[in-house]
Amino acid sequence: MRIKTTREKRILYTKTTVRWILYYVLILLFFTIMTSGTYTKPVLLVPAALCIAIGNDVMAAAVTGAVCGFLTDMACGRLFGYNAVLLTVFCIAVSLVFELYLRNKFVNYLWISALVSFLQCWLDYKFYYQMWGYENVERIFYHHTMRIWVYTVIASIVLYLIFRLINRFLMPREHLTIEEAIRTS
Amino acid sequence: MREFLKSTRFKVLLAFLAFLVGIMIYAVTKGGYSLSGASFVNTVTKPLRFVSNGISMKLEKTVDRISNADSYYEENQQLKKQIGELNKQLTNYDDLQKEVEDLRKLVVIKEEHPDNVYSQSAEVLGYVANDPFRGFTIDRGSDDGIKPYCPVITPEGVVGITIEVSDKTSTVRTILSPDLSIAAVCSSTNTDFGIVEGTVLTAEKGTTKLTHLNTSHGLKEGDLIITSGNSGLFPKDYAIGTVKNIGFEANGLSACAEIEPCADITRLGSVFVILDFDGKKEDADEDKNNS
Repeated sequence: MRIKTTREKRILYTKTTVRWILYYVLILLFFTIMTSGTYTKPVLLVPAALCIAIGNDVMAAAVTGAVCGFLTDMACGRLFGYNAVLLTVFCIAVSLVFELYLRNKFVNYLWISALVSFLQCWLDYKFYYQMWGYENVERIFYHHTMRIWVYTVIASIVLYLIFRLINRFLMPREHLTIEEAIRTS
Repeated sequence: MREFLKSTRFKVLLAFLAFLVGIMIYAVTKGGYSLSGASFVNTVTKPLRFVSNGISMKLEKTVDRISNADSYYEENQQLKKQIGELNKQLTNYDDLQKEVEDLRKLVVIKEEHPDNVYSQSAEVLGYVANDPFRGFTIDRGSDDGIKPYCPVITPEGVVGITIEVSDKTSTVRTILSPDLSIAAVCSSTNTDFGIVEGTVLTAEKGTTKLTHLNTSHGLKEGDLIITSGNSGLFPKDYAIGTVKNIGFEANGLSACAEIEPCADITRLGSVFVILDFDGKKEDADEDKNNS
């Protein structure tokens, strides 16, 4: 990483601040959408937390996972902290996997997002419906849980584009491209 | 990865996770009351949710009108015929009278149950996201005297019960849920007792189920089912719904009936919470917590 000038550092701080404000405005917006209306809706906060976890430090990913989890608990009427624990673990794991093993590509994001949202939906079904032994409970899984999962995967594509756009303009780059290196030298 | 597992960062993350688990466990011990953090977020986001839910409901109504145009057209034609017939009998009916009738129903409820204490009208803030049993949040909470396990009604009939109460909002479990059981009786016979309890299948259709009926019951389609007040959780003589279908349980030992709720639970605007009533089981909260 090259040495930054004072001006570059100032720009970096501003961009980082604006980026995180935008992240949290979007999180609040997704929470509001999730609590509005009566239709079945995607769990928008799960792919949102993953989008943020992928491009950021593991500590930031953990905190964002916890915040998104708490909001999901409130929107879905779940035990306060249940989704927070789940999403924190998922976000830490995803952040580490992308830091160490995977490249930040759309395909990687999509399958990770599909896997994580499936796990979240499946655990929700297990703990909140199947465990209580309701009659015909499997109908909830096939007609309700799976539909939410499909909606979430579809929504995650749109979310990726939104976060990609934010990151494109506001995410600091640690490495120079060859063209930039030639130009600076 | 091995370096990460040995690092301070990992230990800090573990501590953070333990903290979150602690919050979750603490939330379990609150017995139906929200944590102050959740209450704060609920209070802050209340106006935002109120506005966005209003917009969303309007959008959903528009989408509904467009997507179900054919069925609405057929229904409209049938209704027109019915209206023609009804108009012959009820010439003086208009919107104002209907509104007055709704208000009269509420007054009647209050007159019939003078000892019951009601909350002010509570607006529905929004439905619990992706709940197949249509739980919802209202804009009244413990500041208005609401406690967990207070009955929630509309002028049409029983809607559900409060399960989680914060300062300004409360979450309501509806009669479509299998987790809510109401002691009920048929209004016309007054002898056919049973338990109204939702199921997964009936919730899909927006109906609920009357179970544990005697096989020699005298129920017939269209009969009104009301609360019997035996459990101490709900006051007596509140309408729950009308009988839609009658059948037998799978074991054949008792009969059951599908109940169409009097109140349209999928499209609620405002509700009332019964804060206190005659025969209320004082330790209802404790019972629920223990179970």
